[in-house]
Amino acid sequence: MVEHDPAADAALLEAVAEACDRFTPLVALDPPDGLLLDITGCAHLFGGEAALAADLHGRLAAGGLVARIAVADTPGCAAAVARHGADHIVVVPPGAQDAALAPRPLAALRLPRAMVVSLAEVGLKRIADVLNIPRATLAARFDGLLEKLDAARGLADAPISPRRPMPACVAERRFAEPVLLERDVLGTLLRLAGRLARLLETRGDGARILEAALFRTDGRVVRIAVGTGAPLTDPERMARLFADRLAVGDPWDPGFGFDLVRLSALATERCDPVQGGLDASDGTAELTHLVDRLSTRFGARRVTRQVLHDAHVPEFAAAALPAQVLRVAGGRPGAFTAPSTRRERVSEPAAFTDPPDTLVPCRPLRLLERPEPVEAMAEVPDGPPVRFRWRRVLHAVAAAEGPERIALAWWRDADGTALTRDYFRVECRDGFRAWLFREGLFGRETPRPRWFLHGLFG
Amino acid sequence: MTVPPRDPGEILRALRSRVAALEAHRPAPDAESVLAFGVPGLDRALGGGLALGALHEIVPAAPRDLGAAAATVLALAVHALGRVHRFARREVLWIQPELAGREAGRLYGPGVAALGLSPARLIELRLASERDGAFAMEEALQCRALAVVVGEFSDDRVLDLVALRRLSLAAGAGGGLGLLLRHRAAALASPAATRLAIAAAPGLPDGLGGLGQPAILLSVLRNRRGPTGRWLLVWDHHEHVFREPALREAPVPLPVAEAPVDRPHSPDDAAARTRRDRRRAG
Repeated sequence: MVEHDPAADAALLEAVAEACDRFTPLVALDPPDGLLLDITGCAHLFGGEAALAADLHGRLAAGGLVARIAVADTPGCAAAVARHGADHIVVVPPGAQDAALAPRPLAALRLPRAMVVSLAEVGLKRIADVLNIPRATLAARFDGLLEKLDAARGLADAPISPRRPMPACVAERRFAEPVLLERDVLGTLLRLAGRLARLLETRGDGARILEAALFRTDGRVVRIAVGTGAPLTDPERMARLFADRLAVGDPWDPGFGFDLVRLSALATERCDPVQGGLDASDGTAELTHLVDRLSTRFGARRVTRQVLHDAHVPEFAAAALPAQVLRVAGGRPGAFTAPSTRRERVSEPAAFTDPPDTLVPCRPLRLLERPEPVEAMAEVPDGPPVRFRWRRVLHAVAAAEGPERIALAWWRDADGTALTRDYFRVECRDGFRAWLFREGLFGRETPRPRWFLHGLFG
Repeated sequence: MTVPPRDPGEILRALRSRVAALEAHRPAPDAESVLAFGVPGLDRALGGGLALGALHEIVPAAPRDLGAAAATVLALAVHALGRVHRFARREVLWIQPELAGREAGRLYGPGVAALGLSPARLIELRLASERDGAFAMEEALQCRALAVVVGEFSDDRVLDLVALRRLSLAAGAGGGLGLLLRHRAAALASPAATRLAIAAAPGLPDGLGGLGQPAILLSVLRNRRGPTGRWLLVWDHHEHVFREPALREAPVPLPVAEAPVDRPHSPDDAAARTRRDRRRAG
């Protein structure tokens, strides 16, 4: 005896649904124990509806699962026939829903239990019983019955909600003999990318998100998705991205091999063909590809550009955003666009200019991740330090500029811990240049201000 | 006679250099193969400047000089973007492993902008491990859309001779400037074209008691094309040029006891330097 484990059942259903992706991209869950496959336009690839159903039944049986399969015009009809029929495989001919539904019990329509009971009390037990009753009567007495009935009979639309979004373009290849080697898979992906690129070209699009689905013979599916920073149409670059991802990903387990490889463009974007120039020096596409490859390999959040913000607090004056997301508008450095919307939103970075009272850059080249405390000595409590010790090295200050007083966002600071900072640019005797600050105004905010080193100048 | 097919960019460059040779006011064709500092003595020693399409190592003279070394690397990048014609629209990639970032700080956008590089032209790559750094740098060096690729390494163990050789070859293939910012100077031989040690030097006083323009002491430690030596330089972040500061009267900014020149380039050069040293000392 094994206790019922609904979570394990759901996981199994998900796994079976994943394996069913090989037949159609539109697979919906019908919990607790059913799957709905929209095979519109797919059946001929498998030799017809009956052959597809037989193939699916065979594969599930090989996995140790017993399944009942029905093919019908509507999901409601197929579900009713599959759940309340004698045969393992039923193909309802087109337009014959009424005949197929008539002998099934009313519970087959997935009605609420209370409604089934009250229908039985008035002697309505099979679907055939309600087919001949005037619709107005049914609508008045049994709320929701007609909708379910019409959906099953094909009189009303009954959309399914697939687990995965429908890809814009798909190219796939089946193998009679499963492939095992990574090299072969990558070669296949390159050929598929060529086909996908032609499909995209006819639509005038380029791919932004590509997904390769590798279907193992035992039903497991390996999915690899890569993103691009700009619409991509070059097949070799598509294949290269997958090669990069496979090179760093977890070691994959091909099992007994893959018998279906599918490449789909999950997201596309309009991409007008560009005339290649005589001078090949404009490398925008090449740079985008490099950023894509590095992002694919190391993660998009590691390949960044800095965007300057108009903020006083030094930590918030610059933010690192993924370079794949930001795009330089029209090759014009300094203007970024956010491609999340089709309309290009151009934002100029805040111009950062030195104040006129100094000869040195007023912001350090390097900022420490968090200010590091230093032991500093100053002649007067609110003056610049005379010497300070940072990372166990004593530095004697030769010249200092400051203070530049920066108050933190006190209005967001409920417990009053945000102290004002006085920043100093200091140069030591040996030329070491640092950005120090004293936290807290002496006497007003704190009796013992602390010193921190926040950045390093060149 | 059959002419091997060449890529259009190469043909165009060849034509441009022929046109440039005809037009006297254009920069010499050499300007596309080296990056001159604009400091005559240093450029002469380097054979015209830092070779483009090659790998150069930059090391801090002491751990505290890391900031100065990083600023010099960035200044070189700005200088290259402005000075080399074919880099005019290209970008800069800075590779920094996370450990190095924690140790020495991350690049700070406003500071980068203050030194002369628009953050829009800078791509940063933060890596989890130093081992990935060599790979990423090699890939980036081969990309012809990047002008300057900076690889920062705090750990020398990943940069063995093979890795360095691969980086050199990649730089040659891509034609960009490869700069290797090593936190610690390695004693090992390296296939890099030059090795420069950077030390922070006291800035030039501005006469008002504030900080003057930051100065660095650049030592050419290894040079495949000429002698070694050391130069005091200032990066002018307004004009985007390197300058040799005018000599100051007092105090003496440089250690004068040590003879700075290992291999004199030419007798007159050595004589000039001796003269200068004497002036400094006296």
